[in-house]
Amino acid sequence: MTATTTTPVPVTTRTASGPTFGRVVASEWTKLASLRSPWWTAAVTVLVSLLITYLSAQASSVDPVFHPLSDVNTGLLLGQLGPLVLGVLVGAGEFRTGAFRSTFTVVPRRWPVLAAQTVVVGGFGLLLGVAVAVAGVLGVVPAAMARDVPVDLGADGTPGVLLGMVLYVAGLALLGFALGALLRRTVPALLTAFVLVLILPIVLMLADDPYGGSMSAADVRVTPLGTIGVLLPGTGGQLMTMPASNGPIDGSPDLGPVGGGLVLAAWVLAFLVAAAVRLRSRDVR
Amino acid sequence: MIEVEALTKRYGSTTAVDGLTFAARPGTVTGFLGPNGAGKSTTMRVVVGLERATSGATRVDGRRYADLPAPLHAVGVMLDARSVHPGRTAYKHLLAMAQTHGIGKARVREVIAQTGLEPAAQRRAGTFSLGMGQRLGIAGALLGDPATLILDEPVNGLDPDGVLWIRRLVRELAAEGRTVLLSSHLMYELALCADRVVIIGRGRLLADASVQEIVDRSERAGTVRVRTTDPETLARELLALGAQVVPQTGGALEVTGTTVDDVGAAARRCGATVLELGTQTGSLEEAYLQLTGDAVEYRTADTLGGAR
Repeated sequence: MTATTTTPVPVTTRTASGPTFGRVVASEWTKLASLRSPWWTAAVTVLVSLLITYLSAQASSVDPVFHPLSDVNTGLLLGQLGPLVLGVLVGAGEFRTGAFRSTFTVVPRRWPVLAAQTVVVGGFGLLLGVAVAVAGVLGVVPAAMARDVPVDLGADGTPGVLLGMVLYVAGLALLGFALGALLRRTVPALLTAFVLVLILPIVLMLADDPYGGSMSAADVRVTPLGTIGVLLPGTGGQLMTMPASNGPIDGSPDLGPVGGGLVLAAWVLAFLVAAAVRLRSRDVR
Repeated sequence: MIEVEALTKRYGSTTAVDGLTFAARPGTVTGFLGPNGAGKSTTMRVVVGLERATSGATRVDGRRYADLPAPLHAVGVMLDARSVHPGRTAYKHLLAMAQTHGIGKARVREVIAQTGLEPAAQRRAGTFSLGMGQRLGIAGALLGDPATLILDEPVNGLDPDGVLWIRRLVRELAAEGRTVLLSSHLMYELALCADRVVIIGRGRLLADASVQEIVDRSERAGTVRVRTTDPETLARELLALGAQVVPQTGGALEVTGTTVDDVGAAARRCGATVLELGTQTGSLEEAYLQLTGDAVEYRTADTLGGAR
């Protein structure tokens, strides 16, 4: 079929086909995977998780009733920093470096870019989460073998814990990404992430008194500070990495792993929406 | 085709672009000229949708930039400011751009070859010299084989080879019927490759004309320069004819308000031996300086004193 043109078109007209969501996702994956920092951050995260889990399992193995798999998530204590940093670097890096100018002139509608980056960071976070979960299992194996305790991944809610670890790592990567995309600068985004995930939970725990002066565990009550504490993204998310049978954190209502995961998801969504609004309504310079 | 219509852009109380209207047409290299801080880059960023106009409108091929179905095929953009992640290789940067429009790796390699980036394609952009960075920017602009190109200070930082290459490239692109908008703060760069020049100062349009028209507009155009053995007598003679005379060094005079023939005749009448006589042509550079004289935002006190 030939299209008749009323004016001569000097430049060869092509079937112009523009950005589709799939194409933007492919592009964002190329961008993420072509940087060194995500790979380094991921590698360090896995190694640190492995080391901490190993040391923790070694320490626990002196316990007469040693359950190796109860230590499987201990690596996240430090390992959780990795996905946060990774997410922030991706989210803020685009703006810090000026790369957004190329990105948004090519995809001027902007929102597909944010959505595609969310998909890509979430996917990378899931892969990293799998690696961290595997590192957790490998970390407890030496202690278990030394004590001759079998490691049964099918028992005691372990599958749930492992899945929770994967989702927690991916969630933290997305939390860091959303904060980076919203604040557009690395240091403020990292500080905010650390305050929310690491510092505030400790401050609230120290300030809280769920026992009301009593030393008996039966007197534990739900406190306002404890409630705020479990509604923080990190603390809520950590519930996913514990067996449901653990019950609530002292002083907080019982949200369970699913509820805790939803808390983290809500924080991610809130920051993403804020980032999207800022992206649409403001100049990018 | 780029249309800018009554564009105003303010940042708080600062007005970067003030009621600017012009168009860049197909088959033409339009030079976009102004002193640093005149609003060139701001205008270009508004055109490509990175910034929002305070008022007025910009269109590419009759559409708002954000409404273009395939921006990379419609407009090739090279902005002056950094727009590449320093940790990404040139190849991956271009590939990521290409993937958004389903452009294949072959085309990526093609623009890398076209811009002479092959030896550096696998190097991280953070290690690039200014000139290499400019070539990478131009490679990105060419990627979608666009009908319109917007190049912000493309020769900035290029070596002489690169400058020649850019001039030839933009001429070729325009000859193929493309619209080329090319900014610079240096007039002589544009004089060699632009068909039209749009000159702005402090965000306002100062001139929008062909290169020749701008030259003709220069105050010096039509000035007669004469050097004689007796400048004082000749000056008196010329003043009597009603001409304006400005003495120069070495016995030369610059005469306006008369013609070269009359100056020659006057010299003969007063018996001065003419050593040199001719009409001055205005230079583009001078025309530019005259136009932007009041519009320069930053200037050393020295130059300012000299200009008064």
